[in-house]
Amino acid sequence: MTTVSLPLAGPARALRLELKRSAVPFLLPLLAAVFYYNTVRTADGFPAVWTLRASVIGDHMLFEFSAFAGGLGAWAGSREGRRKTADLVTTTARAAWARLSIALAGTLAWLLLAFGSGVAVLYVKTALQATWGGPPVWPVLVGAAGVTVVTVIGFTCGVLFPGRFTAPLVAVVTLFLYQVGFHAVLGIDPVPGIHGLGSGTYGLLSPAGPPPNPDAGVYYRIAPDLSVVRVMFLAGIAVALFGMLGLAPGVRRLASPRSRGSVRAFLAHGGSWPLRGAALVLIAGGLAAAVTAFSLAGTARLDPVGGWEIPALHAAASDRPLPVAEDCTSVATLRVCVDQAFSDDLSDVADALKPVAGEIAGLPGAPAKAAEVASMDGGQQVMSGTAGNPPVFEFTAEHVGPIFGDFNAPADDPAQWRAPFQTGLLDAFVAGLAPGSGQHAGPAVPPAGLAAQQAVVNALLTAAGTAPSEIGGNELLPGQPSAATWAAIGAATRRFLALPASARRAWLATHLTALRAGTITLAQVP
Amino acid sequence: MNVNLTEIHRSFGKNKAVDGVSLELGTGVFGLLGPNGAGKTSLLRILATVLPPSSGEMALLGRDPRASAARREIRRRLGYLPQNLGYYPSFTVVEFIEYFALLKEMPVPAVPRAVAAAVERVDLGPKAKAKLRTLSGGMLRRVGIAQAIVNNPDLLLLDEPTAGLDPEQRVQFRSLLRGLGESSTVLVSTHLVEDVGAACSEVALMSAGKIVFRGTPDELTVRGEGHSVGDAPLERGYSAVLAEARS
Repeated sequence: MTTVSLPLAGPARALRLELKRSAVPFLLPLLAAVFYYNTVRTADGFPAVWTLRASVIGDHMLFEFSAFAGGLGAWAGSREGRRKTADLVTTTARAAWARLSIALAGTLAWLLLAFGSGVAVLYVKTALQATWGGPPVWPVLVGAAGVTVVTVIGFTCGVLFPGRFTAPLVAVVTLFLYQVGFHAVLGIDPVPGIHGLGSGTYGLLSPAGPPPNPDAGVYYRIAPDLSVVRVMFLAGIAVALFGMLGLAPGVRRLASPRSRGSVRAFLAHGGSWPLRGAALVLIAGGLAAAVTAFSLAGTARLDPVGGWEIPALHAAASDRPLPVAEDCTSVATLRVCVDQAFSDDLSDVADALKPVAGEIAGLPGAPAKAAEVASMDGGQQVMSGTAGNPPVFEFTAEHVGPIFGDFNAPADDPAQWRAPFQTGLLDAFVAGLAPGSGQHAGPAVPPAGLAAQQAVVNALLTAAGTAPSEIGGNELLPGQPSAATWAAIGAATRRFLALPASARRAWLATHLTALRAGTITLAQVP
Repeated sequence: MNVNLTEIHRSFGKNKAVDGVSLELGTGVFGLLGPNGAGKTSLLRILATVLPPSSGEMALLGRDPRASAARREIRRRLGYLPQNLGYYPSFTVVEFIEYFALLKEMPVPAVPRAVAAAVERVDLGPKAKAKLRTLSGGMLRRVGIAQAIVNNPDLLLLDEPTAGLDPEQRVQFRSLLRGLGESSTVLVSTHLVEDVGAACSEVALMSAGKIVFRGTPDELTVRGEGHSVGDAPLERGYSAVLAEARS
C-alpha cells in the first residue's frame, strides 16, 4: 500500500513538535510579570484614550518583548550548535532552510501569541474604560513586526554563532540598542515639537518614542505614514535575514576556522541552487524594502496637528478633522464641555473651574462656556484663552494636568493642575488673552498695566480658595519681577481681596475694559 | 553496489584524514576498524554526505552526492549515527525519533508506525514517553540507533554504536545489525573487535587514512596467527595488520 501525504503535512507535524518543546512557554511567566510591571502600569497611568494607551505598545511593550524575543530566538537558532546535532540533521533530506524555518516558526508563533495576548489585555482594559473611539490597528502591526524582526535577528545570530552565551548576549544587546542605540545611531531625538535637534528623522524608524499629545487621535486622525514606513523597515530586515538563513549552512561553513575562505565549502553546503536563488531574491527584496523605508523616514516632517507625515505616503484624508462630540455640564453660570474622549474627566474639570467661575459669574466679558479644543493647531501648541461673543474659554487637554496630559505630575495632587487651570481662566478673563497664541487680543499692555492685571488675578484666585503662591502668581509679567514690583503687587492683591465680594464685582464691572487695556495701575486698584 | 568510492581524499589543512580510499560495498554488515585518528569517522562523515571529499569519485545508492537532487534522494534512504550523538533534552524518545523521521521526509501517515517500530527494535518501549534528559548514556545511544533506522535505510552508517551499551544490549544490537544487513548496506565503525567478529560479514581496517586490510573476520583472524599482541584471535589479527602497515 502506498502512503500519500500532503506536501506541508511533514513540516506541519514538525512544527507541532517545535511548538510543544519550545523554550518560550517556560519564560512566559517572567515576561508576563515584566509586561505587567512596565507596560500595564504605564498604560494604567494614562487616561483611557485609545491612542495614548496604544502608544505603550511601541514605547514599553516592545522593550521587554524585544529582549525576550531576541534571546529566545537566539536560543532556538543556536540549538543545533549547542546540542551538537549539526551532523545528524545535515544528513536528513529536508533542506536546512526548511528545518531552520520550522524551528523559527515554533519560537515566533509563541512570541506573537504572547504579544497578541498582551495587546488584548491592554485593549480590553481600555475598552472597559474608554468613553470614545476604538482600538488602533497600526501600533499592533508595528509591534508585531518589531517582535518578528528581533526574533529573526536573534535566531540568525544563534544559527551563525551557536553557543550557550549567544542568547543572553543577544538579549542584552537588544535591550541596549532598543533603549539608546537606535536613536543615537540614527541621530535624532524624534520628539514632536523639538524637531531639528539631530541630523535627520531616521530615528523615527524606531517604534519607541515619547507618548503623543493627550488628545492625539481625538480631534485629528493619526496619519499611518510613519507606521507604514516602520512596518516596511522592520519587515524588510526580517525578510532579508530570513533569506540569509537559506544560505546559512554555507555561510557557517565559510566562517568556520577549518574552511575559512573556502568557496568550495560554501558551495558544497549552501543547499540546492533554486533554494539559493530564492534566498538571494528574499535578501535583495528585504534589503530594498528596508532601504526604501529608511529613505522615506528621512523625508518625514511634523504635520500641523503634532504628528509626522511622509509626503510620499501621505493621504489628504488623514488631515481632515474628526467630528467633535462634546459632553457638557454647568457650574455657576458657566457651561463646561470636554470632548467625549475625556467624558470621565468632565466632573473634575467642572469642579476645578467652579470656584473661579463663581467669582466672575455675571460680569461683562465673563465666559459663558469653557470648552476643550485641540491641543495643536497649525503646528503650534495651543494656549488657553477666551474668544467669541458670548465669550468662550477654550482650553486643551494639555492644560488639565494629570487628568489629561501632564504625565509627570503626581496624579494624586489636584493642586498640581487645578491652580494653573484656574489661573488660565482668570488670566483669559482679566487680561483678555486670546486662545491659540496666548497673547493679548488688543494692543500691547504696558508693564504697569500687567502688574495691575496680575494683582487682580491673584486676588480673585485667592478668593476662590487657591493661593497664588502655589503657582507663582506672576505669569502675566514678562520675566521675573523685581522685589519692589512684587511687593507692590502683593499690596494691591491684599487691598482688592479685602473688599467685599460685591464691591470687587462692582469695580470689575466698571473697570474691566480699562484693566484689560492696561490703563489701570497698581495704585488704582482699590 | 550501494557504496562505490574511488580514490577518496580528505584533508584538514596538512592533515590527511582520508588518503586515497577506494571501497565498494553491497548489502551486508561491514566493520570498519582502526586506531584513534585512523580516519574512520571522517570516512563515515563523507559517506553520510556531511563532509565533501577533497578529491575522488563517489557514488552512494547509485547516485553522485555532489548533485543536490541526488544528495536529497540519498539522504532519504540514509541512516546515520554519529560518534557523538547530540540530542534535544526536552524531547521525549518518541518525539525525537519522529522529528528525524519527518526531517528524512518520510510520508507523514507512515511516521507513527515507523517510530513505534524503531522504538521497539532498540527495546525502548517502556521509555517511549520519557524525556531524553532523563535517560542514561546507553539508552541515549539506543535512541540514536532508533533515529538512524526509523526510515528503514538502504545505507546505514554507525559510528561507535555499541559505546555505552551493556553486554546484553550489545548482543541484541548485533542481532539487529544482522537483520538490517540482509537488505541494506550497514557500515559499522568500532573499536570493539568482538562486535565485528559477531555481526560483520566483512571488515576493513584503516590506518593513517588508508584502508590497509579488507576481508572477512576469519581472514583477519588468520593474519594474526603467530602474533603475540592481543587477547583474542581477532585482536591478534587486528594488531598484526596494523603493525605491518606501520612498518
